[in-house]
Amino acid sequence: MKVSYSSDEEKFREEVREWFRVNTPPEVKDQTLGGSSLNHDPMIKWHKTLYEKGWVAPEFPKEFGGAGFSDTEQFIFNYEYSHSGAPRLKTKLVSLGMLAPLLLQFGTKEQQERFIPDMLAGKTIWCQGFSEPNAGSDLASLKLKAVSDGDDFVLNGQKTWTSMADHADWVFMLVRTDSSGRKQQGISFLLVDLTSPGITIRPIEALTDYAPFCEVFFDDVRVPKENLVGKEGEGWKLAGALLQHERLNAFPIGELIYSIDTIRKNAEKNRYRGKPLIEDPGFRKKLAALEVDCNSLLYTFLRILSQLSVGSAPGPEASFLKVYGSELYQRVMDLNIEAMGPCGQSWYNLEALDNSVHQATMGWVNSRSLTIWGGSSEIQRTIIATQVLKLPRK
Amino acid sequence: MDFELTSEHLSLKESAASFVKKDHSFDRLRDLYKDPLGYSKEAWKKMAELGWMGLIYPEEYGGLGLDFGFVMVLLEEFGKGLLPEPWISNILLGGNLILAGGTEPQKQEILPEIVSGDLMITAAYLEDDGRYDTNFCATSAKRQGDAFTISGKKIFVLDGLSADRFIVTTRTSGSVADTDGITLFMISQGADGVKMTPLKTMDGRNACTLELADVSAPETDIIGELEQGHPVLSGVMDQATAGLCAEMVGGMQAALDITVNYLTERVQFGKPIGTLQTPQHKAADMFIQKELSASSVYYAIASIDEKTVDMASAISSAKAKCSSAYVQIAKAAVQLFGGMGFSNEADIGYFLKRAKVAEILFGDADYHLDRYARLNGY
Repeated sequence: MKVSYSSDEEKFREEVREWFRVNTPPEVKDQTLGGSSLNHDPMIKWHKTLYEKGWVAPEFPKEFGGAGFSDTEQFIFNYEYSHSGAPRLKTKLVSLGMLAPLLLQFGTKEQQERFIPDMLAGKTIWCQGFSEPNAGSDLASLKLKAVSDGDDFVLNGQKTWTSMADHADWVFMLVRTDSSGRKQQGISFLLVDLTSPGITIRPIEALTDYAPFCEVFFDDVRVPKENLVGKEGEGWKLAGALLQHERLNAFPIGELIYSIDTIRKNAEKNRYRGKPLIEDPGFRKKLAALEVDCNSLLYTFLRILSQLSVGSAPGPEASFLKVYGSELYQRVMDLNIEAMGPCGQSWYNLEALDNSVHQATMGWVNSRSLTIWGGSSEIQRTIIATQVLKLPRK
Repeated sequence: MDFELTSEHLSLKESAASFVKKDHSFDRLRDLYKDPLGYSKEAWKKMAELGWMGLIYPEEYGGLGLDFGFVMVLLEEFGKGLLPEPWISNILLGGNLILAGGTEPQKQEILPEIVSGDLMITAAYLEDDGRYDTNFCATSAKRQGDAFTISGKKIFVLDGLSADRFIVTTRTSGSVADTDGITLFMISQGADGVKMTPLKTMDGRNACTLELADVSAPETDIIGELEQGHPVLSGVMDQATAGLCAEMVGGMQAALDITVNYLTERVQFGKPIGTLQTPQHKAADMFIQKELSASSVYYAIASIDEKTVDMASAISSAKAKCSSAYVQIAKAAVQLFGGMGFSNEADIGYFLKRAKVAEILFGDADYHLDRYARLNGY
C-alpha cells in the first residue's frame, strides 16, 4: 500500500494548481458551486482556453487530441481543476465526457474523425437526447419514432430535459426503430444535426430561474443513416456503456472539497454572538462530520484509482460514488447556506450582497438536481442491491 | 497511489480467516458471552503459536517486524467473526506502549513474554469525569525516595480482568487536564494497594475498574521517561484506534453478508423479502457505508506505515466514520432481520452489541470529530 505521491506527481500537482490559479478568469471563478451553470459565452471562452493549453480532455490519448495523462495524473489534474474554483466545462460533459469515448468504442472511423476534433476545439456543442416525458428513470419506455425511408430515418416525437439544447449544434439520442419486441430492443443510437428542418426547441426554466435544459420536438425530421452509431437496435447496449462513463466521470470530488473549504471561509467570516461562526461548537462539529465523509469518498476514489492501475476496472459497485457523492454534496450545500444565517433566504441580490451569499443560495437550490439526473438515487440503490449485492429481482 | 495488498498480506489474511472459521464460531461466542473473561486462554495460546502476538514488534524482541497493513488484514478477519480474544488491548495498547516508550531493558524483558503469549498486559488511562480525554488524569504519583506512591482510580480498563500488568497514566505535575506532566507506570496485578473490580461490556468481553491506594512503584517501573507519558500514549492510541477501525470494517462486511443472505432466503408474501425495494435500499446503504469506511481505514493504515503528516487526522477521520457507520449498519441489519434480529438465537445481534462497544472504545464519533477539527486548525 502507498498513499503518498511521488515527487514527480507532486511537481505535476504544483504545475496544474499554478496554471489554474493564473489562468482562471475572475469572472468565471466561484460561479458554479453546487453544479450551477455558467452563462454560455464565458463557458465557450473558458473551453477554448483549456483547449489551447491541451488540457480539455486529460483522459484522452494524445493521438485523439487529449493530454495523454496517466490515471494518477488524471486524478491529480481533475482534483486540482475542480479544487481551484474554476467552472466545470458543461460543454464537455456530454460530448467529450460521454459521446467521444462511446464513438471510440463503437463508432466508425469516419464518425470519430468527423466529430471528435470539433468537440475538443469547442466548435461543436453537443447535447444528450435520452429522456422523454414518459421515459425518465424508466428510460427504455422511450417512444420517439425513427422510421426508415431510403437513406434516411424520419423522426417524430419529443425529448425532454435536454441540457443546453438551446445552445447546442448537435444532439445524440436514443430513438425507437422497432416497437415489436421487448422495450429494450428496437432502440437505436442516432446523431442529429439540430439545424435540421422540423426541430423545435423550448427552454424549460428550472428552480434556479434560468433554463439549463429544454424540450426538443421532432416533426418529420430527416436524419441520414450514416449518423447511426453501432447497429440498428443496439441503442440500449450503447446507452448502458455511456451511462457508465457518466457515473464515473460526473462526480467532481475536488469541487466537493473546495465547497467544504468555502464553508470554512464563510464560517470564519460570518460572526455569531461576537465570535466567528466556526468557533460555535455545534457548527464546528457539523463541518468536521462533513469533512470526514468527504475524506471517505476521496479515499474511495483513490482506492478505485489504485484498482485501475493494476488493471481491474470498477464494475457496478462504482454506482455508489454517484449516489453517495450527490447526497453528500447536498449536505455540503445545506451547511453552506446555514453558514449564511439570515442571508440564506436571499435570491439574486448580486448588487446588495456578497457573491458568497448568491453562490450559497444558488448552490443549495441547484444541488437538489444532483440526486435526480444521471440515474436517480433510488435507481442507483436498486442497481447496488441487485447487481452488486445480488439480491433477487423476483 | 497504491491500495493493493501484497501476497504476504493476503497469505496472513487467509490464515486468519481459516483460524476464525475453524477455531471459532458464533456458538463459541454464545458460550464465552456468559464467561466472566469473555475469551479463551487456549485460543490465545494458539494465536501466539501462529506468531500473531509479535506481528509488528521488531525481530530483536521476538517479533516479525511487519508493517501495519498486516494488522489491518488480521483484525479485519477477527472482526468478521467477532473473535473476542484481546489482541488489540495486549498487542496494540499494552505491549505497544512498552515498544514506543519503554527503555531498552524494559523492551527486552517484557516484549518476548508478550510474543510468547505468556504475559497479558493492558493500559489504564480512562477516569471518571474525563470522558475520552487521554490527558485527563487525576491519578497521582508522588516521589518518596527512590520510589513513587500512586493513588487514583481508572475505569473501563480494556481486558483488565486477565492482565498481569497494567500501564497506568499518572500525574507527576500540573493540573488535571494538562497534557504535560503525565508519567506512565507499569503496575502488576495483585500488587499491594491495587483493587480490581471486574466489569462486563455489552459485547460480552471484559474490562475492570482499577482503584490504586498508595501503590508503591520503583523508578525503574516508569515506562520511558518521567513526564513524557502523554505523547507516547497518544501515538499508541492512534495505532490501536486504526487497528480497531480495521476490525470494525470486518464486522461491517460480515453483518452485510449475513443480512444479504437472510434477505435472499426469508420468504414473506410468497417471495424473498430481498425483492422488496425498502430492504434493497437499506442493504445498498449498508454497502455504501461499509465501502466508505473501508477506504478511510485503508488510508489511515497506510498513513501509519508511511508516517504521513496527516496521520493523526486520518485516523480520527477513520474512527469518526467507522463509529457511526458500524452502528448504522448493525441497526439496519437487526431491523431487516425483524423479530429474529432481536433474538440471541440469530448471530446478527452480536454485531449490534460489538458495534456499540467499538463505537465508544478509544473515543466516539463526536470525540474524533472534535479532535479532527482541532488537528485541522479549527
